[in-house]
Amino acid sequence: MPRFSYKRYNLYVLLLMAVYIAVLFWLWPLARGAGETWWKILLAISPVLPVAAVIALMAHRVLASDELQRRLHLMALGIATATVGTLSLVGGFLAAAKVWSVGGDVLIWVFPALCLVYGVSRMALSRWYTGAWGVRGCE
Amino acid sequence: MKNRVRELREAHGWSQATLAEHVDVSRQTINAIETGKYDPSLPLAFKLARLFKQRIETMFEPDEGR
Repeated sequence: MPRFSYKRYNLYVLLLMAVYIAVLFWLWPLARGAGETWWKILLAISPVLPVAAVIALMAHRVLASDELQRRLHLMALGIATATVGTLSLVGGFLAAAKVWSVGGDVLIWVFPALCLVYGVSRMALSRWYTGAWGVRGCE
Repeated sequence: MKNRVRELREAHGWSQATLAEHVDVSRQTINAIETGKYDPSLPLAFKLARLFKQRIETMFEPDEGR
């Protein structure tokens, strides 16, 4: 698989995030007033589409990386999954025991939290292995 | 693992980026190998050994006690 241009990747992510924000502010609010159930469901999950495209882009980038970059991506993903998974479990048990009152919409924050921990871990690992903070290396 | 990648690269007058291009990895990967923070996979180690016309065991040597 050919190397993935860092600039092109950033551009695609930026465009998809712009689509995500547009959908979130203009399309998603229509879900509450929608009549038909299927239309309501479609509108409610519409922000997931650009996010799914970003995930596909990330997967493509990881697959196009060299062996060290791939290791760093996977280690960062492991750290993010373990951290967010543990926190979700703690939150879930607290909510089930009625210690913490939280609505189902808190689940919206799981993916951004994963991305945040992944990004920070990826930078720290990159710094340790290569001496650079950047996440470049696939160019 | 100790290795002679930096020594051989410098003997050829190559930059890390040039070597990276020859073996199709990123410059950061070459840097991590040279500083001993990352041990390359067997295919990459063979690629490097072939490029420098060395035997793999003369290029890479396990650390004592590992």
